[in-house]
Amino acid sequence: MEHLLSLFIKSIFVENAVFAFFLGMCSFLAVSKKIKTAFGLGLAVVFVMLLTTPLNYVILKYMLGEGALAWIHPSLADVDLTFLSFILFISTIAGAVQLVEMVVEKFAPSLYSALGIFLPLITVNCSILGASLFMQEREYNFAETAVFSLGTGIGFFLAIVLLAAIRERLQYSKVPPALQGLGIAMIVTGLMAIAFLSFSGIKL
Amino acid sequence: MKFIRNLLDSVKPQFEKGGKLEKWHPAYDAFETLMFVPDTTTKNGVHVRDAMDMKRTMMTVIFAMIPCLLFGMWNVGHQHYLAFGMETTHLDKFIFGAIKVLPIVVVSYAVGLGVEFIFGVIKGHPISEGYLVTGMLIPLTMPVTIPLWMVALGAVFCTLLGKEIFGGTGFNFMNPALLARAFLFFAFPAFMSGEVWTDLSPEAGKTVVDAYSGATNLAVFDTDYTAIQSVSDLFWGFEQGSIGETSVFMILIGAAFLIISGVGSWRIILSVFLGGYLMGLLMNALAPADNLSHSMHMPALNHLLIGSFAFGAVFMATDPVTAAHTQKGKWIYGLLIGAFTVILRVFNPAYPEGMMLSILLFNVFAPLIDHMVVEQHIKKRLKHA
Repeated sequence: MEHLLSLFIKSIFVENAVFAFFLGMCSFLAVSKKIKTAFGLGLAVVFVMLLTTPLNYVILKYMLGEGALAWIHPSLADVDLTFLSFILFISTIAGAVQLVEMVVEKFAPSLYSALGIFLPLITVNCSILGASLFMQEREYNFAETAVFSLGTGIGFFLAIVLLAAIRERLQYSKVPPALQGLGIAMIVTGLMAIAFLSFSGIKL
Repeated sequence: MKFIRNLLDSVKPQFEKGGKLEKWHPAYDAFETLMFVPDTTTKNGVHVRDAMDMKRTMMTVIFAMIPCLLFGMWNVGHQHYLAFGMETTHLDKFIFGAIKVLPIVVVSYAVGLGVEFIFGVIKGHPISEGYLVTGMLIPLTMPVTIPLWMVALGAVFCTLLGKEIFGGTGFNFMNPALLARAFLFFAFPAFMSGEVWTDLSPEAGKTVVDAYSGATNLAVFDTDYTAIQSVSDLFWGFEQGSIGETSVFMILIGAAFLIISGVGSWRIILSVFLGGYLMGLLMNALAPADNLSHSMHMPALNHLLIGSFAFGAVFMATDPVTAAHTQKGKWIYGLLIGAFTVILRVFNPAYPEGMMLSILLFNVFAPLIDHMVVEQHIKKRLKHA
């Protein structure tokens, strides 16, 4: 139990998907102009992450991994389909995003139009595929996978909301014209990453 | 004074619009406003004005830091002669420290103001006084052995990327002085941590005494909290550390000055100390019973005395630009800084000093804290409507 808790904290702060691995930068930079939309996108990412990573775990465990197909027939025990993991992981994610899109369009049409193209683009948000691949690489079990995906999602959510709040305040600053928009957002991200370095030595 | 006024008046037309040196107006402006109260008045709209302009605010903070600076100079000499086991007068100690510390101050000011000056001329905005405080904070947070070119690098980094890029003083979201320190800390760890806190430049015919240890109290408490110096040493500041951070007494004089003049927010200062103290108590309650020298057993009060806790709380966290702006937000911001500092100190052996990183981290959180306070307030008001 303690182990799971430390994994949870680690995946939010210490190994934050955005500030430690610089994953999911495209939507992180593009949808962080307003806190409200950043909040919506963050929640969508948490949801997709929480849905797809455990699902991918099951797929990996019972279809793709080495000897995973043995439950069908013992003769399949030496089949290794791990090379298919990328394509299957991304299709799971695409399916889940489709689901989220339909739900958001139905229940929060204003958020749907505010997010625009970036809602379907969650599919190619690297932090989500990243979570699935980390799960595979680090050989988490199911409970760990669930906790890890929730933590990574919350980490992304936190990062994007923080950036949005800073960018809302930056509206009053006199940023040089050449740096306005994405330029300053990149610099802010770098400075935020310095602040998040404080977590990097914590042993849990 | 009359002479300077006459001189300035005689060259003024050159710097006005259409003059030959029009481009250099920010430079002229900086000198004129430094010497005299500007005679220009606002042309449109009514502004509430009092004598408390930015220059006055910044000077107040610098006055508040002078006790720390003077004590820091003495302490540099004190630690130096202590390491060589020599008995000297207080004056000798002070002079030794002054020779070591003043170049750092001069370099920090010269380089930082230079960058600000260049930016002012290129972008045509007046050179602001914001750097006066930053330029003093940088030397006070450095170990005395820091190479001067590193101070210069830090000053350039923080003025350029920490401030000017956002439009200058008042628009940055992270404390520039802390940013300089963090940048140097991560870029040159060998010069910013370990045994760098005492100046060991050789003394003729003397060797470092056997009892000398370069470890600060922050490093000591991590392995055995009972081995740190006595509370009175920590309070008066007879310990190793960054130049200005050691003496809690001198810092409290500065704090009193800031609070009475209304420049520093007492809410932030108080809540940082409170947050650290409460987290210290919580650590004590949770500390493992079988290991009595574990750092979690450290008395909560000692956390407030060692390292740069007090310095950060009084001079860094209160930076009105990068702190939370709402009253309730300030309490939350301060409490979180104090609590998180203690957490970092105890659980993060890689960085013994949590204060710097903790303030930087909550600089990042401050806009969100403000946003949430405002949203919650709106919600509450709507309920009553």
